[in-house]
Amino acid sequence: MPARSPEASFGASGLTPGRGQVILGAGGAAPAAAAPAQMADIYRLGDPALAELALEPLLDELLVRVVDILRVDTSAILLHDADTDELVARAAKGLEEEVERGVRIPVGRGFAGRIAAGRVPIHILDVDHAEVLNPILREKHVRSMLGVPLIAEGELLGVLHVGSLTTRTFTDQDAIVLQLAATRVAPAVQRARLLEALQREHSAGIALQRSLLPERLPIVVGVPVAARYLPSRDEVGGDWYDVLALNRGMVGIAIGDVAGHGVRAAALMAELRSAMRAYAVDGQPPAAVLERVDRLVREAGALRMATAGYALYDPETSCLRYATAGHPPPMLVPAEGEPRLLPVEIAPPLGTVPYAAYAEQQFRLEGGDTFLFYTDGLIERRGESLDVGFARLCAAAGGVHGAEALCRTLTRELVPREGGADDIAMVALHCEPVPERLALMLPARPETLADVRRGLRRWLRAAGATDDDVAVITLAVGEACANAVEHAYSPTPAVYAVEAFEEAGTVTIAVRDSGRWRRPRGENRGRGLTIMENAMDDVDVSQTAEGTEIVLSKRLATGA
Amino acid sequence: MLADLRFEHAESVVVARLAGDVDMSNAREVGAALDRTLTNDKLALVLDLSEVDYFDSAGIHLIFDLRERLRVRGVKLCLVVPEGSSARASLQLAGVLRTIDVDETLDAALGSVAQN
Repeated sequence: MPARSPEASFGASGLTPGRGQVILGAGGAAPAAAAPAQMADIYRLGDPALAELALEPLLDELLVRVVDILRVDTSAILLHDADTDELVARAAKGLEEEVERGVRIPVGRGFAGRIAAGRVPIHILDVDHAEVLNPILREKHVRSMLGVPLIAEGELLGVLHVGSLTTRTFTDQDAIVLQLAATRVAPAVQRARLLEALQREHSAGIALQRSLLPERLPIVVGVPVAARYLPSRDEVGGDWYDVLALNRGMVGIAIGDVAGHGVRAAALMAELRSAMRAYAVDGQPPAAVLERVDRLVREAGALRMATAGYALYDPETSCLRYATAGHPPPMLVPAEGEPRLLPVEIAPPLGTVPYAAYAEQQFRLEGGDTFLFYTDGLIERRGESLDVGFARLCAAAGGVHGAEALCRTLTRELVPREGGADDIAMVALHCEPVPERLALMLPARPETLADVRRGLRRWLRAAGATDDDVAVITLAVGEACANAVEHAYSPTPAVYAVEAFEEAGTVTIAVRDSGRWRRPRGENRGRGLTIMENAMDDVDVSQTAEGTEIVLSKRLATGA
Repeated sequence: MLADLRFEHAESVVVARLAGDVDMSNAREVGAALDRTLTNDKLALVLDLSEVDYFDSAGIHLIFDLRERLRVRGVKLCLVVPEGSSARASLQLAGVLRTIDVDETLDAALGSVAQN
């Protein structure tokens, strides 16, 4: 044991050493005191290659080198957890259990704790007669120990210690070498920890963001929708999309972009998305949805800017209404012709001016048209005008038809594989052409009745039916389908089919099921038959070997 | 959501406004929801069908069924079914409009509740 009195070190460190502990080199001996052979070793510790490593491999490599240089049996690094002011075993050689068990030592107590508290090297000649908290050191029969603090830019990062299974007097020279190792490696540890924290925030943010976006899009028969969220290559963003199946078969699609990055942007994004959802589900039209969200953002005093767009599509009429708040204009990819940007009213982002007003645009989608909302990450490139980005978007979309195909193509053509500089969201809605003959095949379940009505109404409108005829025919066909669903029974999952065609101003609709027609029982079914008979010009119920067929026909009124 | 149901509670009357579609997929749950809101201190239920878009025989069955259950409990059922509404057309086509009392407006329905 070095011949020095523990008291000699008090003044420098302000630390009382524990029993059996001796503070070394409290005055801070110069590295030059190291022997030449050890100097070479020290440079091995300062190897720039170490700085390239992630935290775990860096610590592992460092410990291997320290064990080698100081010819010790064990080495370990404990990192400081600032939240709990504890040291947590993070890497070890010969003392792996320390890490496995996640040993935590309070700063100020035990061997490592006192090194951390006093920021001084401490030497223990005999573990059995010293204050040591960590039972593993005794279990592994570590006899003598030497430890130094890891400090970078005045910040305590942890403690590095080595041990010998035989009694060994660590010299000042050893302490200097170990301290140097710690000094050389501390900035790398600091950098790695910082990076780790950032990555943790990033992945937490990505996970948060993913959990905030729809897991799957609602399925609306006859209205294909598709969407993408593409995180940026290195930061969490605040972009979002949404698709809503609303009352009366309407479909709402939303897009938005909270300025800035990080978990906070993602959290605000979640709030805005929920708010838009709430107003949209309540049946508000696009401009009203944006106005309400705008008031909400102002009320909440959010410090970030957000842009958004909302569109409401009525599949029955193919009418689409949309409004935007400081957001890039949506794009239309027509069934025929070149893709183009749609007009938008110049309007402020959400929450930026008092009483912002948002105006709606409205137009009718033709069969085969695709409508797209996107965020600026899809078009913007540094040092380039927006017009170039818009032109690139339209060029990439040329000749692409369908919601999914459009999202896939734009992702492939415009988004770098490793992610863009900004995150990107896009959502597309496609208007399927109305077929000349309607042919639907559905599972015999009550929930499918609404799908039939939507598909039929759309088809009837395209066939030139008046509002009254659309309503009355839909009701009659609804009764026929309800009958099919109610009476369908079959060993295999039952289905029913609806076919419709128009000829010389008369529409004919056939509903077939795999069950058997039953005499109307009870007033309910009886009323259904009465409705069909009163609503249509002709009702024909027939039995076949496969099941029941109800054929309904009606001459359409002229002049909508 | 196919249909929406919103309630207003007056002293002895519950006003229920039904909107959207009623068919065999949801008629039962709409009926159950109407039942639940009627506490024993209520004398009448006013069911407003003005905003209903689609109303088929399952909906008509719901009305007859509800009316019978309420009669047993001593609660009057009043229906608001304006001229030109979808529900009106359905009741007409089913041939049952003559057999039930309906009012043109909510005010008229509340008036007929007050008369009792």
